[in-house]
Amino acid sequence: MKAGLITEARRHGEERDFLRTYVFTSDHKMIGRQYFFLSLAAVLVGAWLSLLMRIHIVWPKTAIPFFGEIKPENYLAYLTMHGTLMVFFVLSMVPQNGFGTFFLPLQLGASEMSFPRLNMIGFWTALLSFFVLMAAFFVPGGPSGAGWTQYPPLSAIALAGPGQALGTDLWLVSIGLFCLASIMSAVNFVATTVTRRAPGMAMMRMPLTCWTWFVTAILILLAFGVLVAAVIMLLLDRHAGTSFFVPGGLLVSGKPVEHSGGSPLLWQHLFWFFGHPEVYIAILPAMGVTSHLLATFARKPVFGYKAMVGATIAIGALGFMVWGHHMFASGMDPHAGFAFSSLTTAIAVPSAVKTFNWVGTLYGGRIRYTTPLLFSVGFVSLFITGGLTGPLLAQPALDVYLHDTYFVVAHFHLIMAMAGLFAIFAATYFWFPKMFGRRMNERLGRLHFCLTLFGAYATFMPMHLLGIAGHPRRYSELTGVQYVTAMLPLQRFITLAAIVTLAAQLIFLFNLFWSLRKGAAAEANPWQCTSLEWTLPSPAPPDGFAARQPAVNHGPYEYLPGTESIEDFVMQDAPAS
Amino acid sequence: MPIISDRVEIKRKPKLGGGGPGKIPHRHGFGGGDDGDRGRPEDFRSRRQRMRRYRLVMGLCLFSVTVVFVVLTFLYILRLGTGRYDEDAHRQIQDWIPLKLPYLQLWVNSLLLLLSSITLEWARRGMARKEEFVDMGIVPPPLKQDLPWLGISVVLGFLFLAGQVLVWQNLQHQGVFLATNPSRNYFYLLTGTHAVHLAGGLVALLYAAGGRLLGLRFESQKIAVEVTGWYWHYLAFLWFCIFALVHFAKG
Repeated sequence: MKAGLITEARRHGEERDFLRTYVFTSDHKMIGRQYFFLSLAAVLVGAWLSLLMRIHIVWPKTAIPFFGEIKPENYLAYLTMHGTLMVFFVLSMVPQNGFGTFFLPLQLGASEMSFPRLNMIGFWTALLSFFVLMAAFFVPGGPSGAGWTQYPPLSAIALAGPGQALGTDLWLVSIGLFCLASIMSAVNFVATTVTRRAPGMAMMRMPLTCWTWFVTAILILLAFGVLVAAVIMLLLDRHAGTSFFVPGGLLVSGKPVEHSGGSPLLWQHLFWFFGHPEVYIAILPAMGVTSHLLATFARKPVFGYKAMVGATIAIGALGFMVWGHHMFASGMDPHAGFAFSSLTTAIAVPSAVKTFNWVGTLYGGRIRYTTPLLFSVGFVSLFITGGLTGPLLAQPALDVYLHDTYFVVAHFHLIMAMAGLFAIFAATYFWFPKMFGRRMNERLGRLHFCLTLFGAYATFMPMHLLGIAGHPRRYSELTGVQYVTAMLPLQRFITLAAIVTLAAQLIFLFNLFWSLRKGAAAEANPWQCTSLEWTLPSPAPPDGFAARQPAVNHGPYEYLPGTESIEDFVMQDAPAS
Repeated sequence: MPIISDRVEIKRKPKLGGGGPGKIPHRHGFGGGDDGDRGRPEDFRSRRQRMRRYRLVMGLCLFSVTVVFVVLTFLYILRLGTGRYDEDAHRQIQDWIPLKLPYLQLWVNSLLLLLSSITLEWARRGMARKEEFVDMGIVPPPLKQDLPWLGISVVLGFLFLAGQVLVWQNLQHQGVFLATNPSRNYFYLLTGTHAVHLAGGLVALLYAAGGRLLGLRFESQKIAVEVTGWYWHYLAFLWFCIFALVHFAKG
């Protein structure tokens, strides 16, 4: 920030210390920044873990400096923590809580969130949850190795492996806290959207980002409760001797496990009933950001605004009905499989509506090729690529073969990790001026985009081939198996591509931190966007809209496609013409 | 950095009876900032808007809690019905051992919870009646039936929780532990989760009851009591649902 918030405050005669300004603050903007940096820390750890995993797959005997050789239990721990960090602390955090907390009130014209202190408590709970999860690295036995899905009986029995004792307990407590934090902030989002819109901001005049934050918050309210219940039941199984998930007849090191009578399938149902809406929680805000940015940089209204709203709601609703497609290989009744398969394929319809509308937004627009636009188009590309393998995996006949292979890994990485990440990058470059008062470097941004786009495809496209060839996932080493060993050259290529992609992210990190201090000062509306946050100075001042309440007279995407001048847009709070 | 501000200064005269600052014409911002308690500025446009906001949030929280209990109920019934797969018999068997519930204790507890709901409702209505007096700045005359209903609700709530703990202990004396059978697992899970939520509600009730001591304005305390009341009534209703479930679906 230009002069620092404390200096600014002092200039206005208010005494504010470091703790009140940057740490224990209920200002939604500062909390948004806090979430942003928490996610940044999480993504750095998660990316480092993925690097270790990729290196281990192709060079199993390599010793990591200061650590040594990666043993199979370490590998499983890394993949568990990688998945947990990325899905929970990056994809479910920064698009919704990071950017949403900062920009939902601003885009609605509100002076604050409905419950600022609840907002702060939500962040602190999320931060605590992160520390609890990280603590798992430092306890005896290390982190859990049961995958981010923590299927019992492996996750239910402390003696089952090195990370299954304290490591798994820490994981469970961390995720329980994370669920509470998410529910707290979701409640805030819904309340703010329903009650704090500025005069004239009808629901159908909200930017699509606000719609997706709203629908995502409702999904969070419905889905995370189920995960809390499941986590508590698993903790009871582990410590109170209950048998919700532990079946009979288990032996650990030759000794029978005492409790019995539970069903591991029950966990799968509970987890995926949460888990599928979770991936929509991760991707919906990213879709909203993409719609917003494509309209801004194509200088055209979003194609089919009402259809986009309808598709968002449809994706949210349908997302609750498809959890069984994660369990096609579990031995379910084929009729149930048919039902889940049909509903999953049905979700492709609103997703396709959104995709076509994005393309329609760009078509015929006077496109400004800025970094945020490039990343948004990258999102659409990766969403299509990753999304097309979705209906494929939704066929039980195909999924029985492809389940737990690299094909699934390719699918979700392309659509969740890469597309979601591209939307996060786009949002970062786009909103950086408003959040921090400076511009990020455009050239470095474009270089970052090119390298990351090529790297993303280079890393994950070949994984489809690995999956079709039958390479299973979550194995530390398969060098003894001939048909898998034959795929090692392709794995090496993937690892090299992954290393290049990760190295390209250093450009982004450098750009981010350098621009925080030395970036060009940003004006109020550097992108000439119509939404309300751009009526405030950059960076958004601490009191936001408290000083003056905007009145909204226009829709969210009033760009004037035929105009030749630079003034080809109408701000939402411009006087009604 | 320029700040556009049209702050309107209003002299706040101390009011008889210590009521809040009263209605302030909408100066700046429109809510979501501070609540006007503990000397901080008030930012809500109207009292009703503030109440509406808190009610909305409580409604959303109840929504989320409902999901949890619906799932647990569903699991209870499912486990009761389907039983488990037995390795030796190579088929699905029913292994649910019905609980012998201590009905007298449970009914006493239910009565305590119902009474606490009723007294909380009286407390809420009493506060709504007093509100007009507070607005005008008049100390309300003490009514004859003016018992400390909030405090009574708190006590009854504590008694309910204590009663639940006694029920568990009673069951444990009979050898019914958490781990012995799926029926126990689910019974303790359902009642335990309910108790945890009730304990949280009790903390909220304590906060609402001790409002004056904690620096809350009357209006804030009224909102706290109303919103906690919703939660409390919901938990009472939920308790009866759980009681009905463990009785009718005994197995």
